[in-house]
Amino acid sequence: MSTRRNILYTVLYILGIAALAWSLIPIIYMIMSSLKTQIGMFTMPPQLIFEPTFDVYKDMFSARGNFTGFLSNSIIVSLITTLLCLVLGVTGGFALARGNFKREKDIAFWIISTRMAPIPAVILPLYLIFAKFGMIGTTEGLIFAYTTFNLPFSLWLMMTFFKDIPIDLEEAAMIDGCSKFRAFWQIALPTAAPGIVATAVLCLMFSWNDYAFASVFTGKGTQTVPVAVSLLVSQSGIKWGQAMATGTVVIMPMLICGLLVRKYMVRGLSMGAVK
Amino acid sequence: MLHAADRPMKKAKRNRTEFWMLLPSMIVLAIISLFPFFFMIYASFMDYRLDMDKPRFAGLDNWKNIFTDSTYWDSWGRTVIYAGGGLIIQLALGIGLALLLYHIPKFRNLFATLLMLPLFVAPIVAGLLWRFLLDPTYGLYNWFLQLLGVNIQILGDPSYAMPAVIMMDVWEWTPLITIIVLAGLQSVSHEPLEAAEVDGASGWQKVRYILLPMVRRMIVVALLIRSMDILRYVDVITITTEGGPADATKTIGYYLMQVAFRFQDIGTAAALGLTMLVVSIMLGRFFIRVLRSEEA
Repeated sequence: MSTRRNILYTVLYILGIAALAWSLIPIIYMIMSSLKTQIGMFTMPPQLIFEPTFDVYKDMFSARGNFTGFLSNSIIVSLITTLLCLVLGVTGGFALARGNFKREKDIAFWIISTRMAPIPAVILPLYLIFAKFGMIGTTEGLIFAYTTFNLPFSLWLMMTFFKDIPIDLEEAAMIDGCSKFRAFWQIALPTAAPGIVATAVLCLMFSWNDYAFASVFTGKGTQTVPVAVSLLVSQSGIKWGQAMATGTVVIMPMLICGLLVRKYMVRGLSMGAVK
Repeated sequence: MLHAADRPMKKAKRNRTEFWMLLPSMIVLAIISLFPFFFMIYASFMDYRLDMDKPRFAGLDNWKNIFTDSTYWDSWGRTVIYAGGGLIIQLALGIGLALLLYHIPKFRNLFATLLMLPLFVAPIVAGLLWRFLLDPTYGLYNWFLQLLGVNIQILGDPSYAMPAVIMMDVWEWTPLITIIVLAGLQSVSHEPLEAAEVDGASGWQKVRYILLPMVRRMIVVALLIRSMDILRYVDVITITTEGGPADATKTIGYYLMQVAFRFQDIGTAAALGLTMLVVSIMLGRFFIRVLRSEEA
């Protein structure tokens, strides 16, 4: 029995390590390639031990690389969108969790279908509206566009977080003469802090990682990093060195953020369905 | 002191705060969802091109265009293969991995955390990275394949491009199914499992008759989220194959982007987008209904 169990565990660990290799080799290889010389990164068999060089990064961040422009656009758009959707999502989510509204089911379905609408089907009408108001190529336009998926997301997720908080404390405070809003502000909000952080990180990630909206709605000067990634692909070929370095810069902050709120990741990515 | 007579007033008052707290987000939500939606319905009945000053009324022309367009139906066909194939593979792998992680005695969290990492990679980066790995001259995985005697230009070959983009989706999103199902498994109580053990159930029987039925709800949740997202994104196809070669990877979402921004035929694109929206809402409704019946 115990030898059988040992064999089973060995097999499971081998399969697990194989799955890890399949998942992680591309990411590790990208980071390694970004640190190799332009010749080294193409050598086969791949060099596993090499002297890292930061040439590509230095180039990207130098004055003529104009990468910092893309980066600051990405940071500005992601942060503002996140802040906006968080303020609306936290207040609205709390109201949905505690209030008693007519047609609550329809509101819920409306929120969720807005979040899940196919991106191309959202881009098109937004493009026409933006064109009418001269908002193509502006940062405001892109922020507005990101609200279309981040607002329903944060509303929904914050609602599930607030529903989990027992209402007793707020009710007790209200019997003591505290207003509903003060009960929200001083009791519910601090209790929901981890949920708010998790929602913020995911909103940040959805905006930071978006390419489709940014490719249509930005112009010179407002383009974000994912657009910069796509610009490295041209008829004459792909600048692989820069592509790997830019890719690394795109994923690093999200890997770190994701791991920081790892505990709430499942919950957020399943839109609150998994506790 | 609370009197019975105070109750209705108290309730109305309680709701009033919530009403004002909800109102701003509902207004913004209406602006970002209903306004574009009605605008799209309007555009679908117009002869509407990007270079036009005033769109002309076109009746049902756009709708006739898409329904008689063989590329439209072919794109849906490819979408079914892309989404269906991708979902089946990642569901099987994801559930398998979750069961694996559930059963190993040590390092479960470490494995789960590391396996999650592809989830955080921007799809556009994932696509470009895989393009690099599969590159016929420089690609690491291409080199592996050559060592095994396989010599194909994966992304340049119409019969391999679709499996390749499906595999990229599987690479990025299988972990989502794994962590959702694993969370479900970890919340299963031990009693039925112990009872089954006493009754002499085999390992496979425990999985088949106890664990899997108990996480069925989680599997539906994972399927709901993934099926919506696989229709949502076009990033990977845009950066790897641009719908090609020979239209082999042209899904409906990518075709919509083409009709709108390359052919600049907004009216037709609007009709096309509405059909996409209807399909995804119907699919979402279906899964939510399944979820509700599971809960009941």
